[in-house]
Amino acid sequence: MSHPPVFILGGTQTDFARNWSKENKHIVALMREAVLGALESSAIDARDVQTAHVGNFAAELYAHQGHLGAFVVDVDPAFSGIPTSRHEAACASGSIAILAASAEIEAGRYDLALVVGVEQMKTVDAAVGGDYLGTAAWYEREARGIEFPFPKLFGRLGDEYDRRYGLKDEHLAHIAAVNYSNARRNPLAQTRNWYMSENHAARQSRYNAVIGGRIKASDCSQVTDGAVAIFLASEKYAREYAKRRRLELVAIPRILGWGHRTAPIEFDTKMAESRSNPYILPHTRQAILDAFARAGVSLEQIAAIETHDCFTTSEYMAIDHFGITAPGQSWKAVEEGVIELGGAMPINPSGGLIGAGHPVGATGVRQLLDAFKQVTGNAGDYQVEGAKKVATLNIGGSGTTSCAFVVGN
Amino acid sequence: MGGLLNNPKSVNNQNGAVVILGANGVMGIGAAELFAAGGYRVVMLARDRDKAAQALEEVQALARAEAISENIEIGAYNSDLKRTVEGAAVVFEALAEDLALKRGFFEQVDRYRAPDSIVATVTSGLSIAELARGRSESFRRHFLGIHLFNPPHLIAGTEIVPHADTDPAVIDAVRQMLQKRLGRRLIVAADRPAFAGNRIAFKTLNEIAQLVPQYGVAFLDYLLGPHTGRAMAPLATIDLVGWDVHQAIVENIYEKTQDEAHALFKLPDYIKQGVAQGRMGDKTPARGGFYRRTGKRVEVLDTSGRYYEFVAPKPIQFVERMKGLHRVGRYRESLEVLKTADGSEAELARRIVLGYISYALSRVGEAAASSGDIDTIMSYGFNWAPPGVIVDLLGAADTIELLKRYELKIPPVLETAEGKLYAGSVLDFGRTFVG
Repeated sequence: MSHPPVFILGGTQTDFARNWSKENKHIVALMREAVLGALESSAIDARDVQTAHVGNFAAELYAHQGHLGAFVVDVDPAFSGIPTSRHEAACASGSIAILAASAEIEAGRYDLALVVGVEQMKTVDAAVGGDYLGTAAWYEREARGIEFPFPKLFGRLGDEYDRRYGLKDEHLAHIAAVNYSNARRNPLAQTRNWYMSENHAARQSRYNAVIGGRIKASDCSQVTDGAVAIFLASEKYAREYAKRRRLELVAIPRILGWGHRTAPIEFDTKMAESRSNPYILPHTRQAILDAFARAGVSLEQIAAIETHDCFTTSEYMAIDHFGITAPGQSWKAVEEGVIELGGAMPINPSGGLIGAGHPVGATGVRQLLDAFKQVTGNAGDYQVEGAKKVATLNIGGSGTTSCAFVVGN
Repeated sequence: MGGLLNNPKSVNNQNGAVVILGANGVMGIGAAELFAAGGYRVVMLARDRDKAAQALEEVQALARAEAISENIEIGAYNSDLKRTVEGAAVVFEALAEDLALKRGFFEQVDRYRAPDSIVATVTSGLSIAELARGRSESFRRHFLGIHLFNPPHLIAGTEIVPHADTDPAVIDAVRQMLQKRLGRRLIVAADRPAFAGNRIAFKTLNEIAQLVPQYGVAFLDYLLGPHTGRAMAPLATIDLVGWDVHQAIVENIYEKTQDEAHALFKLPDYIKQGVAQGRMGDKTPARGGFYRRTGKRVEVLDTSGRYYEFVAPKPIQFVERMKGLHRVGRYRESLEVLKTADGSEAELARRIVLGYISYALSRVGEAAASSGDIDTIMSYGFNWAPPGVIVDLLGAADTIELLKRYELKIPPVLETAEGKLYAGSVLDFGRTFVG
């Protein structure tokens, strides 16, 4: 069944290097700046916005604040009265907000939706933050009383690759180095001025401690404060918008396809389930295939990927799950430079979660915004030359909720 | 494995390194980290190898990576200057702020350098033209100031300071290097005393320091704190910078300029005496500065040289309202409060903020080319609200009215401005207003 198209009109993200606690700011300030920035840069009148969806993982914990949908209304008097809601699926929260907004547009309920992804994480120290993130797993079974549970879970993803296919840490180090290198080109990336090299990433050292299992600091995404706002529109609104800006409708990117799958929440259950499957996270694989099928595209038509590298192991997993290599052979793409800017299939030209930063609930929206920037030729120094179609993969929990999109004209 | 990671051969795609002179100083260390993290091959030179080796450890600490030493060679002037300068693409001078010392080194650099290598000084106080005087034509064409702000790995604002003979192609090459490879937020500043950023910021800082005998430290830092558009309260900033550095910058400007704010650059006597007694701010914790911290105990200075237990000043309603509005991202409303608040405290705060706008924007055409450049350097060099933003939020007409009220110079750029003065969005300036 064919659905009406969903267009992406534009958006903005905050500078992911900012520490909003140091600025003594409430989470509403993050949302406010992102939304006002998006209205301005997209030249959209606030009165046109008919519905708003917020992706956020754990503001109740980090900022002692719930009901984030209602804070959209605080941004502009014109938003007073519009329907809003907040969506949560751990690190995939942003993508779920996008799915909810696009479903409303597909259903013909509204013509213009605002999607905001937001997380303020620097309100607490690393240990407390690590514990909060543990609620994205089955907390009582997999996280309670464990220091930094998620690095350990994703370390085990690496261990599973090692057991089934073999895995060398040098390939993970290369993934880290590529993400940091790309981030240096992204003026809004958290690590844009940080030092990183493959040799630093490859070794445990005074400045590169083991966080859990085979995961060292250099394998981890960042603790980030950030918000991202984008506008999704129906064909009717997109046509008017294009006309106003003297653009052809085809110049406005759309969500060509989406995939959304949920695996059992416990890591051990996932591993047991996939024991005889060539893909370690088959539901993640299926979410990608669903997105490709709905978009009517194959991997060869994709110019770049923004994937969920919460740890180097999750990017390693994404490489074979996208079909760039056969299952278990992601290392080949790493060795051959396929994933680098200028390679055959650049992954995370923005720097990804490792380089650009990972404000949990904002990440899925940031990925879609970066895909938008790529296909409209507005990615600046991290532009993938001539990108027409870009795919995203956003994962919540230990490979639990998987959301994939294909964005293009 | 793929060689696509940052590893430019040199600024001009030649096979050369960045040689840092004075690499064991604070700026030398910061610059070494910056260039090495950007993928450049760096040579850190000091009086002897031990000093350079110690500095390398500090670079590793800044980068939080021992492996950064892969990109770094260390050496001593006596044994390594000639060889390394001969092979350098960039010679980056970060020696002490001493004209004769720097000139002595530049004479050697002039002798050994490759004809197309770039020579830069990180001076914040000396004249670029003076430093270039007497050097060969090739040296002069390839010479300019690259004024980094400390610490450069955290503060991206940077001033490029050419002198009359600097080749425009050299400026372009340096601009490319600093912007594309090193993530700098750049302006080109004029070769005027203290260039643009320090001239503007230290005018306000010294103006507030002059008011200390009348109002006291705690009151001023509260009244003119981060809510007035700065990451840190002003007197705490002078402590961080160092009283000696404040003295050097302010006296230099006072001596070499004559402008509408001349009197505000007069160094207060209590600072001069404090420096003479070894009171330098944060770097002399036992002697203190405006503040003295012992464990959790905080004391503040009075100008007779005694310290008293810090007592938070009585809250002032308009200040608390501004802070509350910044906290929720309502910057325009906060500036409206500043504009309209009643009382002598509000008058004082307004006068200082308007004085900043007046002085900063009046430097257009003298210290910097445009108000946009001044906005950039105040925002990214000091984490201060760009003057253009404050004008936009107050409204240009109201700003002019206020400038008249406080008998402050009305910058020509304000009279001719149409629409918004500041080019960026809230996403660029929001961080400069603290809750």
